[in-house]
Amino acid sequence: MAALKKDETLSIIENAVQLALKAGADEAEAFAYQGLTANVVIERGQISRNTRIIDNGIGVRAVINKAVGFAYTNVLESKEAIEKTVQNALKAAKASKPDKNWRGLTSKKSRASVENVYDRRVAELQSEDLVKLASSMLEAAEETDKRVFPIEGGVGASELVRAVANSNGVSCFDKGTIIECSLATIAQEGGEVTPVCFEFNAERTYKIDPEWVGREASRLAGSALKAKKFETKTTKVVFAHAAFHELLYFTLMNAVKADYVQRDQSALKGKIGEKVASEIVTVYDDGLLSGGLRTYEFDGEGVPQQKTPIIEKGVLRNFIYDNYTAKKEGRESTGNAFRAGYLSTPYVDATNFQFMPGKKSPEELIGEVDEGLIVYSLQGAHSSNPVSGEFSVVATPAWRVKDGAVVHAVGGVMLAGNIFDVLKNISGLANNERKIGQLVAPWVLVESVKAIGK
Amino acid sequence: MNKALELGADYTEVRAQELFRTTLTIKEGHVEAARQGIENGVALRVLVNGAWGFASIGSFETKSLLEAASSACKMAKTVSSKLKNPIKLAKVTAVEDKVIVKPRKDPSEIPIEDKIKLTLAINNNVLDYDKSVKGCTIDYLDITGKNYFVNNEGTYIEQDKLYVWSRITATAKTGEIFSFSREEIGSTSGYEIFDAETPEVVGERVAKRAVEQLKAKPPKGGIFPAVIGPNVVGVFVHEAFGHLAEADLTLSGSVLLGKIGKKIASDIVTLYDDGTVKGAFGSFKYDDEGVPAQKTLLVNRGVVVGLMHSRETAQKFNMQPTGNMRAEDFRAEPIIRMRNTYMEPKDYSFEELIEDVKFGYYLKSFRGGQANLDGTFQVGIQEAYEIVNGELGEAVRNASISGNTLETLLKVDAVGKDFELWPGRCGKGQTAFVCDGGPHIRVKEVLVGGSA
Repeated sequence: MAALKKDETLSIIENAVQLALKAGADEAEAFAYQGLTANVVIERGQISRNTRIIDNGIGVRAVINKAVGFAYTNVLESKEAIEKTVQNALKAAKASKPDKNWRGLTSKKSRASVENVYDRRVAELQSEDLVKLASSMLEAAEETDKRVFPIEGGVGASELVRAVANSNGVSCFDKGTIIECSLATIAQEGGEVTPVCFEFNAERTYKIDPEWVGREASRLAGSALKAKKFETKTTKVVFAHAAFHELLYFTLMNAVKADYVQRDQSALKGKIGEKVASEIVTVYDDGLLSGGLRTYEFDGEGVPQQKTPIIEKGVLRNFIYDNYTAKKEGRESTGNAFRAGYLSTPYVDATNFQFMPGKKSPEELIGEVDEGLIVYSLQGAHSSNPVSGEFSVVATPAWRVKDGAVVHAVGGVMLAGNIFDVLKNISGLANNERKIGQLVAPWVLVESVKAIGK
Repeated sequence: MNKALELGADYTEVRAQELFRTTLTIKEGHVEAARQGIENGVALRVLVNGAWGFASIGSFETKSLLEAASSACKMAKTVSSKLKNPIKLAKVTAVEDKVIVKPRKDPSEIPIEDKIKLTLAINNNVLDYDKSVKGCTIDYLDITGKNYFVNNEGTYIEQDKLYVWSRITATAKTGEIFSFSREEIGSTSGYEIFDAETPEVVGERVAKRAVEQLKAKPPKGGIFPAVIGPNVVGVFVHEAFGHLAEADLTLSGSVLLGKIGKKIASDIVTLYDDGTVKGAFGSFKYDDEGVPAQKTLLVNRGVVVGLMHSRETAQKFNMQPTGNMRAEDFRAEPIIRMRNTYMEPKDYSFEELIEDVKFGYYLKSFRGGQANLDGTFQVGIQEAYEIVNGELGEAVRNASISGNTLETLLKVDAVGKDFELWPGRCGKGQTAFVCDGGPHIRVKEVLVGGSA
């Protein structure tokens, strides 16, 4: 099955919108999604599997009397299935309750322009090519350190198609590609097993470096051996990319979503214009970032994506909105409606949450730490208090830094605190910005984090 | 399947699903979306020259299925050229069966209006509990339909699928203090689960915790004795031990590798992963390799005696498959997943467990947990209390515990006689519906992460 074409996709969803209006909807919207994904999977030191997944479908929102109903189907080849889906959306709307805050679907806007989000070479990769990339990653890991065992990982390439049409004349189609590789490793020596170490690289165009991922995943695991305990104290911590992503994902990234703010579930409510972070912190939600993992022309409701300042020099500037939360406050959507495929109604989410980098090299940043930790990943960040921003997590893998140099691995150390204190205590930013999920950020140095060890 | 065999597959299986899903999201009494959907699809898995090929497609069209079959075989062949250790499968008896689920209240026959009414009633019970309760989010999900499984060894299974699930969260606020509380309900028996878990019962449980947490203080960080409630014991058994005993992760080098037959926990610790608990959220009759689900003994009186297996890992360990292979849907390959995982109760009452603790914590309800292959675990706690001189003291908020699984299992010094099983969802790349639980237990010491 090949990728859905623009004309056929738009005709399916425009037709669904018309069917809904004819059946009595006041407003209607249809969203189409297709994902074509090929993966080569590494398990326990070898490439063991090759998979191909084709998933496509449409989701229809129908509004009757300010009540919203939604239905979806993945059966696109049958007219009856689409008609049934439209009827189910209307049925759900009728069963639902009117929402006094409903102010209509999005209206037609000019298109945004984006770069480096589709690469024909990624879309056309064959399984042989993916096997080659995975082998080079695996070999690089094995050559770097013989004590290291690559436990899982792989290479994946996807082509994604998205389209939105609604009864206000919105009709748009977009496609993108993503290629990624990752490797998780452990090292074993003399009965000691390290925690899982992990490295990855994800890009929209064909420029991943699997050998670097293999080498780095291996180097990390090797240096995680001979871990020592860490004394309980308040200390400096450098958060590497994945650890910082985990910390923000369950705390700050929710606190800036308009629905959390409107529902009294954000500690940042009422703080626009106030200082909420250290002066060196500037954060954008940049839906147009060149080659960003979540860069698209339009969001899940057909609104052009945009670049929104969130924090400028420590001062909170904006929250992020979808159409519903924006209209509730009489403002415009910031293009932050996200959909998890065709099964999902839109919800507010970050696009590319960009923490602006500093000028220091990673070595210079570490050089500023007389005593502290560098943390590559966190365990248990999802158990943070999503409203207050309080967290209590395990730092693993982590290394002790002394007099500006990494000295040895540490095991079993917990970090506890509040994300909003962490933001105020950021004292350094490196220049090694990277993309990970929604986050684009460098290494971040934080003063005064409570570390609980022995 | 026949196409794949023609192309040289040594083993072929085909899974098909016809599922219907209803989901609701309610926020502060407003129905954000009532959703209904159809998901049909086919997954095809082949073993060629010892390598796996997998193709998934959201369609029942013959042409697309044949394309998927040849693509799966071609992919497996590509990979097999690089293979060091060819994959083999443990032998199993072929099964022919039709599994029919007969719920007392079939969610697919209940009008969506009634489901909205029920979730709104829970919402009202949460928001009306106290004026400090500011927010309430309720997610509701039911899945009904059928799965088909066929392989070239003669197994043919039709299996009804039925899941009912809801998650209720409440937030409360006074001044600058925020608190958060959540609960999940889940069943494979039917919509009748809400006859026991009524809106009043559930609403109060969630709201009361959020309100009490406002008065709670942060825990002291450090090493303390702890009495752990069934809800937290469950997540500890699941996260800290269970994942290490999933044979794919054991083979990846979890700390249980090489520990079979060895003592890793105190004598009073016996652990099961059980797919046969009637109506429990992690129960089913056959797994997604067509193997019957069973009650699997993992730790017997402190000694590791079993792991959770697929046909592939069972062959490697020269053991029997345990019926733990599950795929979230047609888009995903089956992987080893837990079912209902629990610790067996013994003989202590709750009072006996806390009476000897001079200062420690009672950890009653969890919020998330995670483990690492080296045995480092973390469990976040949403409800905890101090224990002072053998009695329950003040409430404590946002605690979490950590440690090494095996060291902690050896420190279990008393096991209670009560028993509870709690539904949840487990993430391992895919989502699986599970239960976990056990009795109250006491551990001599555990690391408590606190900010005070």
